[in-house]
Amino acid sequence: MYIIVVGGGKVGYYLTLALLGEGHEVLVLEKDAKRCELIAEQLGSVCVRGDGCEARTLADVGTERADMFIAVTDEDEDNLVACQVAKHKFKVPRTIARINNPKNEALFKKLGIDVTVSSTNLILEHIEEEVPTHPLVHLLTLRGGALEIVEVRIPSNSSVVGKRMKEIVFPPESVICLMIGGRGAQVPTGDTILEAEAQVIAVTRPEAEGALRAALTE
Amino acid sequence: MIYSKLLVPVRGRKVDDDIVKSACVLARRAKGVVYIVHVIQVSRTLPLDAEVTPETRSGEDMLANAEKIADVMDCQAETEILQAREVGPAIVDEAVERGVDMIIMGLDYKKRFGEFDMGDTVPYVLRNAPCRVLLWRGPMEGEEE
Repeated sequence: MYIIVVGGGKVGYYLTLALLGEGHEVLVLEKDAKRCELIAEQLGSVCVRGDGCEARTLADVGTERADMFIAVTDEDEDNLVACQVAKHKFKVPRTIARINNPKNEALFKKLGIDVTVSSTNLILEHIEEEVPTHPLVHLLTLRGGALEIVEVRIPSNSSVVGKRMKEIVFPPESVICLMIGGRGAQVPTGDTILEAEAQVIAVTRPEAEGALRAALTE
Repeated sequence: MIYSKLLVPVRGRKVDDDIVKSACVLARRAKGVVYIVHVIQVSRTLPLDAEVTPETRSGEDMLANAEKIADVMDCQAETEILQAREVGPAIVDEAVERGVDMIIMGLDYKKRFGEFDMGDTVPYVLRNAPCRVLLWRGPMEGEEE
C-alpha cells in the first residue's frame, strides 16, 4: 500500500517506522527542513519537505495513487484540511486524522474524514478502564459520535441491585445489550435481576450517559 | 592504494567519459571491476517499479557508451540501471551492497544564482558514503580541455 503521512513529529516518525516495517511504501510530508533531514537520515528517502495542506505539494508526491492518507500534525486544523484535500481532490479511499481537541471529533466526521484518532480520548478511556472505581467506561463510539457503547459497573450499594430490569427507568434511546454477572454473560430481558458488581453493556447517546449511569449506580 | 571494486554513477554528462576512463585505469592495476550504474529518479506520482521507457532507453545508451570505453581500455565492467526516488541514497546503497572501495563521481561546472552549485547528489554521497569518494569536476566554460 502507498501511505502518505502528514507531519513528521514523534507520532509521524514512529508511525512511519512501523508502516515501513510492515512493508508499505510510505512518504512523510514535513514542513520543517531540519526535521525532514533527520527523518531522511534515519529512515531513508521517505521524507519530502512541504505543506500537506497544499494541493500542489500533494499532487507532486502522488497523492492520487495513495491508498491511505494519515494526518498526524499537532494542529487539528491542518489535519482536517490535509485530509479533506486528499479525500475530495485526490479521491484517496481512506483518510485518517489525529485529533488533539476531542471536541473536534464530530466535526471531522461530518466533514468526511473516514477515521479520527483522539489521543486525549484514548488516554481517558484507558484511565476509565484502569481505575476500578470509575462506574462508566466508554468502549466504542458509533455513527461519528452520535452513539456510544459503554460499560457500567453496578455498585453493591446501588438501589437497583436485586430489582428486575423492567422496574428500572432508563433514559430514552439507551439499550441494555448485555449483563456480565455471577452467572456469566447474558442478554437481559425484562425479568433479568440486576446483580451487585455486574457489568452492564449498553448503547446510549452521549447526552444520556449521565442519566444512564445514575439509573444504574445510585 | 589498490582499488579493486569501483562504482561509477553516470548521468549523461560531459564528464562521464572521463570518470569511466579514470575508474578503468585504477581498476586495471588491481585487475578489479568497475560497476557503472545509472540511477533513474522515479517521480512519486509513479510506483517505484513503474516502467519508465524513455528514461530507461536513455540510461541504456549511457551505459552502452560507458561499456565501450571500458572495453577499449581492456577493463572488466558491469553495468546496471537502478530506479530510485533519490539519486544520492541509491548510489550510497549500491556502494554498500557491492562493497566497493571507491566511488568516482563526475560533476559539470554549473552556476546557480551566480554561485557554483553542486546540486544535492554529490554532497549527499560525500556525507554518507562509507568508502572513498573521488570527485571529478568538469572544466569551466571556455577552459581548455
